[in-house]
Amino acid sequence: MTKKQPLFEAREIVAGYDKRIIIDGIDITIPSHKISVIIGANACGKSTLLKTLARLIKPVSGKVVIDGKKITSMPSKQLAQVLGLLPQAPVVPEGITVWDLVSRGRYPYQSFLKSMDKTDFEAIEEALEIMGITELANRSVDELSGGQRQRVWIAMALAQQTDILLLDEPTTYLDITYQVEILDLLTDLNRRRGTTIVMVLHDINLSARYADYIFALRKGKLIAQGAPSEIITSELIDTVFGLDCTVIQDPVSYSPFIVPRGRYHVHS
Amino acid sequence: MRLTKTIGIYAGSIIFLGMCVFASLAWGSKNVAFNQVIHALLNNDDMSFAALVVRERIPRTIFSIMAGASLAISGALMQSITRNPIADPSILGINMGASLFVVIGIAFFNIHSPQQYIWLALVGAGITSVFVYFVASIGNGGMTPLKLALAGAATSAVLSSLVSAVILPRSDVMDSFRFWQVGSVSGATWDSIQLILPFIVIGFITSIAVTPALNVLALGDDIATGLGINIGIIRMICAIAGVMLSGATTAIAGPIGFIGLMIPHAIRLIMGSNLSGIVPLSAIGGAALLTISDVLGRVIGSPGEVQVGIITAFLGAPILIVIARNAKVRAI
Repeated sequence: MTKKQPLFEAREIVAGYDKRIIIDGIDITIPSHKISVIIGANACGKSTLLKTLARLIKPVSGKVVIDGKKITSMPSKQLAQVLGLLPQAPVVPEGITVWDLVSRGRYPYQSFLKSMDKTDFEAIEEALEIMGITELANRSVDELSGGQRQRVWIAMALAQQTDILLLDEPTTYLDITYQVEILDLLTDLNRRRGTTIVMVLHDINLSARYADYIFALRKGKLIAQGAPSEIITSELIDTVFGLDCTVIQDPVSYSPFIVPRGRYHVHS
Repeated sequence: MRLTKTIGIYAGSIIFLGMCVFASLAWGSKNVAFNQVIHALLNNDDMSFAALVVRERIPRTIFSIMAGASLAISGALMQSITRNPIADPSILGINMGASLFVVIGIAFFNIHSPQQYIWLALVGAGITSVFVYFVASIGNGGMTPLKLALAGAATSAVLSSLVSAVILPRSDVMDSFRFWQVGSVSGATWDSIQLILPFIVIGFITSIAVTPALNVLALGDDIATGLGINIGIIRMICAIAGVMLSGATTAIAGPIGFIGLMIPHAIRLIMGSNLSGIVPLSAIGGAALLTISDVLGRVIGSPGEVQVGIITAFLGAPILIVIARNAKVRAI
């Protein structure tokens, strides 16, 4: 059920907090219908880049455009129907039920005179179903495990039914089992709906496995981009993370897999 | 099950409010029998003493309902936009701003009629809240809940000492001022109600209109922005609505504490954190608490009365404690 995707790009953006420049002139075009992952060392600006793409930070110069239109000049609700976001630390209001939280993703489609209708309820049902949490609908979000909670948040973003979904470290704080589960669910979403996904991830090996496309950042600049199999090399990892490693083939996915070489336990 | 429960809570609270209203018309320094109350309400030509007493009590009862509802909604709005569970309308310095203007009017401009207090209080509340909002918006990141709370507390402290500075050397001012300051609904007349009605109506409609946005804002600023909310504008609209509601009420009744703080809390404990339930039920609950407090004040203080501002805290605190003991306290 893929439809024509809007062209999502950033042009020469410079962004940061106050006077400190963190992103220093980045040009990117997000590949449509693909899963893109932004990688880089701590403080390289990957979160800032994602936040700028998501209009949480206004760039000092340059622009983020969808189909040629600057996102900062689009009506905010209209933009929210195209571009969704799951930030790192959303707030769970106490006692809120799963259904109630997910339903708030429909806000961009509501107005003063139009409350929820059939389309909204269907969107919520579908989001719950994709995330496999239909039976949790009436549970209180506080009572859920970290992995279930993250599925609820993603379901909220799904209910928003955007063509593009940005996620800031959606697997942080989760056990490895849930990390894989969340990434599988996001891949489902990408395959079923053709949603363009852009996320920041910490784990390079999971990034290399799940990403169709990787953006590697270093000190606020984009230094490499492309399919994981083309760009993940020990040289790149050394440049980006300052880590000495060997790149092998992931025996499961055949994607590149990095094995760090520390100072101890190295045999060859 | 959930729907039945919701309908039950609404029906129950409306019936309870109705009982409070009836009590407010019937009881006071002179008690009127229930059938006489109904007779007086239905027959405009009933000129018995009982009927006159009942009719006399209508404006203050209506004002109690309006004021209680306004204060409670205002409190719910302030708690939402500041993400501060102990915020109430006074967080923007409304009470102290209104107080200072009233005091200055009494002390320096020889103003003694309640009609004029209303204007002074409205202007004072308005100017102060704009000032607090402005101070809270200075610096990095614009207005944040924490800066708002700090700016409000600091401004209130300054204004409060100014109020004392004006009053202390003037015992005559103290006399006029303390009746306004204690918080009473007895001064309500048809005229004063009419004067504040537009503010209250606009405040109500705005509050209902912004609840979906506030529900989204409760998920954090980033999520709210991602869902298409301009958080700065929403916060400002809520602050204006909150100031209108509590400013107008304070203008007539003086500062009535506790309702704006307690009612939204109590409702949140019972109903959960969805504002589409909290706002209307807070209105009903606030109206009921203020009305019944006023009745109690009249009954206890008979033949005079104890001001409602004193009763609300005495009545409200135990209720809040009971509710809090029986439910998990919910954060914002």
